[in-house]
Amino acid sequence: MKQSISQIKNSLKKKSISVEELHDEFFKKAKLNSNNAYNLITDKAQNKSLIDESQKRYDNSNSLPLDGIPLGIKDLFCTKGVRTTASSKILSNFIPNYESFVTQQLLNDGSIFIGKNNCDEFAMGSSNETSHFGPVINPWKNKNEPNNNLVPGGSSGGSAAAVAEGSCVASMGTDTGGSIRQPASLCGIVGLKPTFGSCSRWGIVAFASSLDQAGPLTNCVEDAAHILNSINKYDFNDSTSSNHKRDDYVKDLNKKFEKKIKIGIPSDYLKDVSQDILNQIENAKKVLSQHDIEFIDVEFTTTEYALSTYYILAPAEASSNLARYDGIRYGVREKGENLDDIYLNSRTKGFGDEVTRRILIGAYVLSAGYYDAYYRQAQKVRRLIKNDFERILKDVDFILTPTTPNEAFKIGDKLDPISMYKNDIYTVPTSLAGLPGVSIPSGLSSNGLPLGIQFIGNYFQEKKLLQLAALAEKELAFNE
Amino acid sequence: MSNNWEMVIGLEVHAQLKTSSKLFSSSPNQFGSEPNENVNFIDSGMPGMLPVLNFACIEKAIKTGFALNFTINKYSVFERKNYFYPDLPQGYQISQFEFPILTEGFINIDNGQDQKKIRIERAHLEQDAGKSIHDIDPKYSFIDLNRVGTPLLEIVSYPDLTSADEVVNYMSSLRQILMYIDVCDGNMQEGSLRADVNLSIRKPGGDLGTRCEIKNLNSFKFIRQAIEFEFQRQIGVLESGGQIEQNTMLFDTNTGETRAMRSKEFSHDYRYFPDPDLLPVNITQEQIDNIQPTLGELPNQKLDRYISELKIEKDISKIIISEKENTEVFEQMVNDTEVPPKLIASWLVGDIFAFVKENNLDVSSLMKKTKVIVELLKLVSDDVISNKVGKEILPKVLKGEGSPSEIVKKMGLEQVSDSSELEKIINESLQDEEDNIAKFQGGSDRVLGYFVGKCLKATKGKGNPKLINKLLLEKLQK
Amino acid sequence: MSDIDIKRISYLAKLKLPQEKEEFYANSLKEIINWVDNLKQIDTNEVKPLHNVTNTTESIRNDEIKKYNLVEEVLSNAPERAQNFFKVPKVVD
Repeated sequence: MKQSISQIKNSLKKKSISVEELHDEFFKKAKLNSNNAYNLITDKAQNKSLIDESQKRYDNSNSLPLDGIPLGIKDLFCTKGVRTTASSKILSNFIPNYESFVTQQLLNDGSIFIGKNNCDEFAMGSSNETSHFGPVINPWKNKNEPNNNLVPGGSSGGSAAAVAEGSCVASMGTDTGGSIRQPASLCGIVGLKPTFGSCSRWGIVAFASSLDQAGPLTNCVEDAAHILNSINKYDFNDSTSSNHKRDDYVKDLNKKFEKKIKIGIPSDYLKDVSQDILNQIENAKKVLSQHDIEFIDVEFTTTEYALSTYYILAPAEASSNLARYDGIRYGVREKGENLDDIYLNSRTKGFGDEVTRRILIGAYVLSAGYYDAYYRQAQKVRRLIKNDFERILKDVDFILTPTTPNEAFKIGDKLDPISMYKNDIYTVPTSLAGLPGVSIPSGLSSNGLPLGIQFIGNYFQEKKLLQLAALAEKELAFNE
Repeated sequence: MSNNWEMVIGLEVHAQLKTSSKLFSSSPNQFGSEPNENVNFIDSGMPGMLPVLNFACIEKAIKTGFALNFTINKYSVFERKNYFYPDLPQGYQISQFEFPILTEGFINIDNGQDQKKIRIERAHLEQDAGKSIHDIDPKYSFIDLNRVGTPLLEIVSYPDLTSADEVVNYMSSLRQILMYIDVCDGNMQEGSLRADVNLSIRKPGGDLGTRCEIKNLNSFKFIRQAIEFEFQRQIGVLESGGQIEQNTMLFDTNTGETRAMRSKEFSHDYRYFPDPDLLPVNITQEQIDNIQPTLGELPNQKLDRYISELKIEKDISKIIISEKENTEVFEQMVNDTEVPPKLIASWLVGDIFAFVKENNLDVSSLMKKTKVIVELLKLVSDDVISNKVGKEILPKVLKGEGSPSEIVKKMGLEQVSDSSELEKIINESLQDEEDNIAKFQGGSDRVLGYFVGKCLKATKGKGNPKLINKLLLEKLQK
Repeated sequence: MSDIDIKRISYLAKLKLPQEKEEFYANSLKEIINWVDNLKQIDTNEVKPLHNVTNTTESIRNDEIKKYNLVEEVLSNAPERAQNFFKVPKVVD
């Protein structure tokens, strides 16, 4: 059984283990990199002073909230002095001179970074198969086909695999259309996407600016709460950061709800799902109903448009966000006879297929003659989707959905883009609305592979959302 | 002349805003620094960097809105203009497209005796780009990003301009106004103000022709040359039976010619969309109201006031209002004294400006000297010294060699205004002048001037010329 | 549906797709655009586009200069530099 952050901190406080021993344990596992979950593993020498300082604080009994906790960091967060690649060839040699806001908070709270987690290139993908550094392997195996390597999900596939394989206590990921929740579900761990605007995007390689959010992938809900405490802060330097009052998410996590809770289950989400998935929902309903929780059938009117909306808006923003990658000021510059050649060669050779595809889609939907029919229309439908959620959340406190439509599949199985995009069907709508969503492991499929359920909360209601997730986690007892 | 062809011209003026920091980053907004010294990670387009709006730029835009009679839009949106160029690190320029901050303005320009109204379609905020240096090395270009992100206000006129004169007139009026309201420093050599000229030609009453855009003109001289050349070029094309291709042109300052930029494979498509890293700008009425009083008097308002209230001649007034610092010096003097503004004005644009020019000074250096100048002018207007003497000692006063009264005393330059003393001199001067006296009595006024001159000489220039004139006249008329 | 002008799109995106891959991407794009075309069914005449999920921002700066002189850091990842400039092959207009 994996230890939680609280348990580890207790051990460190009681001196049953030292910060260095703790580090070495995880570092050893990470170094094996047996699932290719890391693009880079930080040399112990580089972390030595942090480890020593952490130990000093424990010795003096004034440890920081995440002191000495070994974390993985998705290779999308700019880490000062440490190579940050976005799992892309074009950034394969990039060393930022600045630290992202979120990772700075984690450092301020005493955590130690084990390394940079592999991910889909520029966060574009749902299986971690688009990385320049090779696919990540899900630590779980299909019990009926144990020799097959399965995908961990994406884009934060490396983060999820690292946590699941036990080479870090938790990992920092990003979620644009499901990139934290979906891999969490496929790897049997917890993944939280906070409300848009909660956690600063400053220093995170941008994919789709109106959708990207940083969030934790962890072994348990309480760990996610710990990390959220650290990273959920207002940042003036991110104009989309929201300056609302934040909570202590760990405090009262296991407290009972004060009044009756209503949870909506969207019938349109459950059309055509497999029995395995249905079982997850049914089971969750069963165990939670004992706790003064009422389940109500709800119905969205916009579900069938969510994926289209997302796959217009996200590539559009990405096509513009990725225009800065040209080999001129940083990154890999390819040879060329003239300036134009350098641009063309560096970009064409520097981006993989999926990124190229999305840049092309993005350029298309923004181009003259198509802007109104696609981009503008998608922005309008996005408003309808947001309104749809707000309508439903008037009558219920939370929404319960499956996280993914399927269990982990074989690497190389889904070559067709659209079938890959459909992995995001349950997570994309939440992202479009900007609402917080958390996935917790709910059970195993008939093939013995983990499946997750997603709780969606109202804007900035992470405290209540995590309370509910903690309750469900306890009742479902996945890890036992 | 030119076979009856008419020019139809619209002007896009880019004005760099006078702020300390850039539009979306807190790097210095400064000209002339060492390469890449004023660049931070946002400016250089590093991964994960985000823009944060400098509110001073909004304030400058609002001020401009008042000064150029615009509608100030309380809601405006920053959009990305996407294209690739090495001096554009993000691969897009943050600009405004569908919802600019200012719309439908105008200014009046002098058109000989009349005024002509030039309508302005819109003005919006946008980032400036960096600079590439092409002429150091035959094989390489060198990129300096200092200018990246500098705030620009792009002011787009309607095609109401019909000649090079009007264009220069319009642009210099804009420049003057923007400098007055402290929005732009107007330094064209440093690139603070640049213009793109859109020119097409047609026969009177005919349809609008295809226009060509001449980019990046940064002096009035070049604007004139470019317009003249392009006008003739387009005439040449049409009169030889050809068609004007819509082109973006560059002006070669060495040859005085315009030429089309290398044609691209496909036309530009900037794919504008609202920048998702920024929220729309929402300005309150209160913010707008707070800015209006800070505007100060505009050039044309000053002109009217100088002419109608202070009774200064139009031409002299125009010289004073041509630069804001002139008005500051002038008004400080006017406010300080009972010396007639007319006197102050004529001395200022005459001898005082001449001194400034000869000594390579700034007009603004006169601000510390207005008290002594006014002292000097009071001595003149009170007849303590003559105009001529005043002008002689002006340089000494301006050089700080003492107060005007001290200098006059030291040099013994007071005017002699004692009638009895002057009478003596007049009588002496009239001795043995029977011929000239006769000429005067015969109707020659010039003789009077001769006698005044003779008397002045006798007083070594210190005689009060007006009094001498008066006394002489009395004597001669007897 | 009309053919995708893949040459023009890749030009806009500053990509030079190898000849043999042009068709591959063009088809891919066609399929995806076809798939997202279901959005055309919705009547959005009365609907305002959603630019931002966040409602208001407090990120409005005062006109102050913050730390600068980051020349070395800005240039540290430059593939080619000459003194304090970024160096590129000649730009021809």
